[in-house]
This record gives sequence, structure tokens and C-alpha cells, in this order.
Amino acid sequence: MTVIDILTRVDTICKKYDKYDVDKQREANISGDDAFARLYGAFETQIETALEKAELVTKEKNRASAVAMNAEIRRTKARLAEEVPKLQRLAVKRVKGLTTEELAARNDLVLALPARIEAIPDGTAGGPKSTSAWAPSTTTSRPDIKFDSDGRFDDDYFQESNESSQFRQEFEMRRIKQASGDQGLDMISEGLDALKNMASDMNEELDRQVPLMDEIDSKVDRATSDLKNTNVRLKDTVNQLRSSRNFCIDIVLLCIVLGIAAYLYNVLK
Amino acid sequence: MSSDPEKMMSKADKMTKLTLTRWSADWRGATELYEQAANGFRAANKYEKAKVALEKASQGQVMQSSPWDAAKHMESAAALAQKLSIWDEVADFYKKASELYVECGRAQPASDALGKAARALEDVKPEVAIQLYTDACEILEEDGRDQMAFDLYRACASVYIKLEKFADAATFFLRLGVAADKCDATNSQCKAYLSAIIVYLYGHDLKQAEKCYNDCSQIDAFLKSDQNRTASRLLTAYNEGDIEEIKKVACSSTVSNLDHVIIKLARKLPTGDVTAVQMNAGDDLDEDDLT
Repeated sequence: MTVIDILTRVDTICKKYDKYDVDKQREANISGDDAFARLYGAFETQIETALEKAELVTKEKNRASAVAMNAEIRRTKARLAEEVPKLQRLAVKRVKGLTTEELAARNDLVLALPARIEAIPDGTAGGPKSTSAWAPSTTTSRPDIKFDSDGRFDDDYFQESNESSQFRQEFEMRRIKQASGDQGLDMISEGLDALKNMASDMNEELDRQVPLMDEIDSKVDRATSDLKNTNVRLKDTVNQLRSSRNFCIDIVLLCIVLGIAAYLYNVLK
Repeated sequence: MSSDPEKMMSKADKMTKLTLTRWSADWRGATELYEQAANGFRAANKYEKAKVALEKASQGQVMQSSPWDAAKHMESAAALAQKLSIWDEVADFYKKASELYVECGRAQPASDALGKAARALEDVKPEVAIQLYTDACEILEEDGRDQMAFDLYRACASVYIKLEKFADAATFFLRLGVAADKCDATNSQCKAYLSAIIVYLYGHDLKQAEKCYNDCSQIDAFLKSDQNRTASRLLTAYNEGDIEEIKKVACSSTVSNLDHVIIKLARKLPTGDVTAVQMNAGDDLDEDDLT
């Protein structure tokens, strides 16, 4: 069974058993006709997620991602702060089926919201905690640089500058080392370029020669078979010439001629 | 020794002439005599006579229906004519040899013959050389052996460059690209396109170069290649009038892998210096106007 199958089955099962999900039903019931309750529920969830993120930030080692997450948290907080007045208006509205006590309770809840939103740690309040490793230094505030958190960043920033100067020194050293490494890499890259070009030229040349080799192959095959043919015929011919019968006849005739010559010699002597 | 070839020549001539006593020419004997006479003349450094002898020998072979030998004789005759610097005859002989090779059905030697002719005439009669190169390429393409045509295309394009006909040279490079495409020789193809772009730029024709670049970018193989990047760098450098960048690109390894004629052009590239800067100024003004 593939992963996709598993996922679809899980989805259908969840949908089927949704009606047994108590929490979800409660939520659905609560936010049934009530705009306030719905919005308040949404608020709660957002605040909870923001708190979770803040927790993650404290555990985060990578400064860049910590900064990014803090920025996100701040954004969420700002958004929530904007929506609080809306919630307040809704809180004052009368909804059927709601007692006066509950109405008052709602108002209190809404008033408590801004405080809760502010309480979410976003790297400003948690500043001293995260920099506990470094020695806290007395800092002078920088009035000309305005941040929306009213300079509460100062502690953070100056302690950063301690570490950042260390980083800067290391950076310079590394940069000098890398410059010489870069030169070496440049030379290597040039050499590789030359090799690549030569290799592709060689490749094309070989491709060009493949059909030529095929032609040579077939021609040489033809030539070999012709040669073999000729050889066989030659062998036959030579054999015929050298056959023992002809040889014997030759010897016999030679003897006869010598005999005649000897006879004549004797006669003339 | 020198009289022998003469005698052979006259004897062979007599054998081929039809008279009352001789009703059919004896081409075989005549051809043999012609060949021997030609060898004799060559040994005696009498190239003119050797050439004539070879011509007649070739004709004899034609009469004997062996176009291969005939073509070989023709080529030798042409080589001698080249030594004697009789250019018309060089062209003629090589063309005839090529035709005979085609008769044998051997395209490669045919185009080789034309290539040799073109090379011989490059300096003296470049137009004829170009024509010969084109014919040679056509012969090869008809036979489906495009890869052998690459060298011929490159040689032809370099002749055009010498004649300063840059548009024609670039056209030939594009034809090279087409031939390379047919054989999937992507490296040669990309090099051909880059060479075409450089030739256009050298001819101060930025618009054509850009059009050419756009056309070539349609082709996948070119798009993924080093040559593509080099070309785009070159064109952006030209558009910005950045002379340093142009020089740097011209000295890069990609350009140094092209034909040496093109490398020379590329090194001289920012000769269109003035025009580059002018174009740059024109572009700036246009942008300002639009904003």
C-alpha cells in the first residue's frame, strides 16, 4: 500500500470519527452562532501558537533563524493588538442565550487580552535570558536609532557587538585565507574547462571515425575472403604441378634422354 | 631517358588515333604507355609534359570504364598544375576528378578532391574556393556524412572572414550548426553558434548578433551549454558598453577553444568600441525618456 493510500484512508477514518472528537465538538458548539466566541477562539489559538514559537526560539541555536522567528512573533502580536478593539465591540453586543454575568465575563476576558498579547516573549523581554552566556555590559542607549520597541533592544545589541567584533576578526582572517584558496580554485577551474573541451572534441572525432571503421571492417572482410579463395586455388594449382605422377614421368624421361646420350657416346667413341 | 617518355607518348598517341589500318583504338596499351610516360616526365621534372600525359592517361581509363583510376590520374594532373600555378586547370582537373569519384559512388574522395582544390585556390581565387567548398559540403551532405563536412564549413567561413564578408561567414557557421545537429555533435554545434555570434559582433552588427542569440537559444543543446553562458555574458557586456568585461570574456577558455580565426576576431572584439558606447548611450536616453 502506498503512502498516498494510507493518507487517504486515514483522512476518511478521521472524518468518520470526527463526531466523537469531544474537543472539536465543543469548539464547534461554542462558535456555533456566536461571532464573539468564534473570534475569541481564534485569538486563543493564535496566542497559543505564538507562545509555542517563542519557546522554540529560546531553544534555537541558529541566530539568524532565531531573529526571523522573533520577527514573526512580533508581527503576530501587532496583528492581534489591532484586532482587540473589534473583539471588544463584539463583546459588548448582546447575544441571545447569554446571561449578564457571562457578558461581563466576556468584557473582562477581552480586557485581559492585550496584557496576554504583550506577555508573549519575542526576543525583547527574553533578551537578557538568551545572552546569559555573555557578560552583561552597561550600555548607553542610542537615541537616534528608533525601533518600535523603544530601544529595549539596547542590551541585546551591545552584547551582540561584542560577539560581532569577534566574528568580524574571524571573518577577515577567513577571507584572506579564502582569497588564496580562490586563486587555486580558479586555476583548477580553468584546467578543467580545457580538459572538458578537449574531451568533447575527442568524443566528436571518435564519433566521426566510427562509420569509417565500419567501412574498413567490411572492406577488409571482403579482401580476406578473396585472398583465401585465391590461396586455395593457388594451392590446388601448385599441387597439380608437383603431383608425383608428373614427377615420375619427368624422371623417367630424363633417364631415357641420358640413356640415349650414353648410347650415342658409346657408338661415336 | 628523356626521349623514352616522348617516344612512349607518340606511340600511345598513334595507338589511339584511328586510321585506315587501325579501326579501334587500343586504349589499354595506350593508357599504360601514357602512365609510364608520365612517370618518366615527372622523374625528369618536366611537369608540363607529365601533366599532359596524365590527362591522356585519365582519359584512357575513362574509355576503359574504370573511373577510379581515371579520377586518380586527374588528381595527380591537378597537383602538377598546382605546382605550375595554372589555377584554372587546377580547378577544372579537380572538378573532373570529383565527378569521376561520384561516378564510382565514393562521396568522400569526391569532396576531398574539391577540398584540395579549394585549399589550393584560397589565396588566389577566393570566390572559386568558396564555390568549391560549398559543392564539397553538398556532396557530403547528400551522402549523409555530415561530420566530415565540419572542417569544410569552417574553412569556408574563414575564407569569408578573410574577405571581410561577415554575414556570409556567420551564415556558414549556422549551416555548420545544422549539420552538427543532424549528427548530434552538440559541442561542435554550440561552438558554431558562439562563433557566429562573435562574427556578427565583430561586424559591428549587434542587432543581428542578438537575433542570432535569440534564435540559438531555442535550441536545447545550446541553452544548456557553456557557450550559451559565454555568449550571454558577451552580449550583456556589449549592451552595457563594458569594455573590460568584453576583454575578459574574449580571453575565457570557452572562446579559446574555438577556431583560431575566431579567437583572433574575439581578441580584437572591442574594435566596435565606439559603437558599443554609442549604443549604450542611446539605450540610456531611451530609458530616461520612457520614465
